[in-house]
Amino acid sequence: MKRWNVLSGVWMRHLVQLRRYYFNTVSSLITYYVVFLIIFYGVKAVGGPAMSAGDTLEGMIVSYFLWTQVMYAYSALSWGIADEAQVGTLEQLYLCPYGFGFVNACSMAVSLVVNLLVNAILLLAAMATTGKWLQLDVVSILPLLVLTLFGAYGVGFAMGGLALVFKRIQATFQILQFVFFGFLFIPLTKFPAGAYLPLAMGNALVKRVMVDGLRLWELPAGELAVVAGTGILYLALGLAAFSWASRVARTRGLLGQY
Amino acid sequence: MTALEVTDLRKVFPGRTPVVAVENVSFAVREGEIVGLLGPNGAGKTTTIKCILGLIEATAGETKVFGARTDSEPHRVLASAAAVLEGSRNVYWRMTAWENVAFFASLHGVSYKERANRLYFDELLTRFGLASRRDTQVRELSTGFKQKVAVVAALARRTPLVFLDEPTLGLDVETTHELQALLPDLVRSEGRTLVISSHNMDVVQAVCRRVIIVARGRVVADEQVSDLLDLFRTRSYRLSVAGSLSDTAVQGLQTVGTVTDLTVDGGQTGLTVQLPDRGSLYRLIDVLRDDGALLEDISQREPNLEQAFLEVVRRGGARG
Repeated sequence: MKRWNVLSGVWMRHLVQLRRYYFNTVSSLITYYVVFLIIFYGVKAVGGPAMSAGDTLEGMIVSYFLWTQVMYAYSALSWGIADEAQVGTLEQLYLCPYGFGFVNACSMAVSLVVNLLVNAILLLAAMATTGKWLQLDVVSILPLLVLTLFGAYGVGFAMGGLALVFKRIQATFQILQFVFFGFLFIPLTKFPAGAYLPLAMGNALVKRVMVDGLRLWELPAGELAVVAGTGILYLALGLAAFSWASRVARTRGLLGQY
Repeated sequence: MTALEVTDLRKVFPGRTPVVAVENVSFAVREGEIVGLLGPNGAGKTTTIKCILGLIEATAGETKVFGARTDSEPHRVLASAAAVLEGSRNVYWRMTAWENVAFFASLHGVSYKERANRLYFDELLTRFGLASRRDTQVRELSTGFKQKVAVVAALARRTPLVFLDEPTLGLDVETTHELQALLPDLVRSEGRTLVISSHNMDVVQAVCRRVIIVARGRVVADEQVSDLLDLFRTRSYRLSVAGSLSDTAVQGLQTVGTVTDLTVDGGQTGLTVQLPDRGSLYRLIDVLRDDGALLEDISQREPNLEQAFLEVVRRGGARG
């Protein structure tokens, strides 16, 4: 019950901050939409590399939707931890008796729910603009999406941990955003090993659900296992990296510094 | 019951040149006490507090909060302790005072949705003069109010032990006095234990009954404030005499004690005499009477915590 109160507090903080930083909230939504339009019409006009990789415009919409979701998830952790250190509230979060990890898990859950809702609006806008209507089978999409996002959260935790120790690593944060983009557009038919990278297989399966109309249980079990396995593996690696960095920061007394 | 126990705490920050921040620090704080943790910059006060809370990993030694060890039971330690560590930087400036209090309390499992807790938050905000500013974003508040929000946010976690690291930093005289009055009241009414680290000796002297002085990472004094002041209570008297004193009288006084601060202002002479023992006071009066001087005022100079602190640190530094 008391842990629930932590979640409730984190939820309240998230909504308050979305409201207070409304310009950032709205502008990020508009930016994602405009970038989508540029990519979509650009690809359509030149029949670019994504098309030649056997992808479709519908597939591109799914990948972009997933990328924005990944960006929100990854940023919430990596930039979030760096911001807390910068403004001076990080140590207060560490004073939570249920653990800083639990506070982060709450932040993850809250940002996931909020970003799913926000992204659903973005997806609808994208589908309405392009006229490409996708299958929105929530029961099939949601578990795949969450498992896929585990990889992004894993990287987010690792980067957040590095920010605790090295402080200014925003340049790395930004570069990774494009690396994620790469993971999502890896043509798995040409590079099957790419399936073991974060996001790649998850993206492929979400496309099959949203574009081809397959249900979750109609997907190959082996591929589902890869999505689950890679998601959990990268999350575990991210948590381990964060735990190591957190220990280093506590040994060197860096938590309160920026 | 013992609220806090620190035994042989040692912290060395690693690096090319390792820095010894805390060296074998030991002390205990009983439940319900208000203890001042004093020391010059870099003495190891904040490091000690952070080691107790697990924010910095100690190199050696043991810290316990209500019997729970920081190294093996950090969650139990944190369930009993809250802290203001960086004052106004410890709260979200884009959130209101009330939202900050509600959020940080929720981190300790205190629900902001429960009526009793909401009433308590409002009571705290009122006691700290923040009632009219409860719905104001922190960024719009003055430094003093920001600091108060940070203190209230820590208290709202309802932990029995609270650390206040430099709670008066940046506060004006009026707000400092308010805080001085509020903290002991809080301990009395809620039975909390407070550990206050501050450079503001007036606040510590007014609020704390006991002080622990740290210098160069070591505890150099751990005394009741009154005992510490007694220790530095010199037999120093300030005298005011009508007219001027003759050279014979001054020489006579110098045989009794050490004469300093001799001033002649209009028709009055002021001087300070430090006496070696209690009986010397009678000899001092005799010298003045023999000279025919008219004694208008005499008062013993009271030591203050700042003087005591400086002396203790100086001696501690000399030993270290």
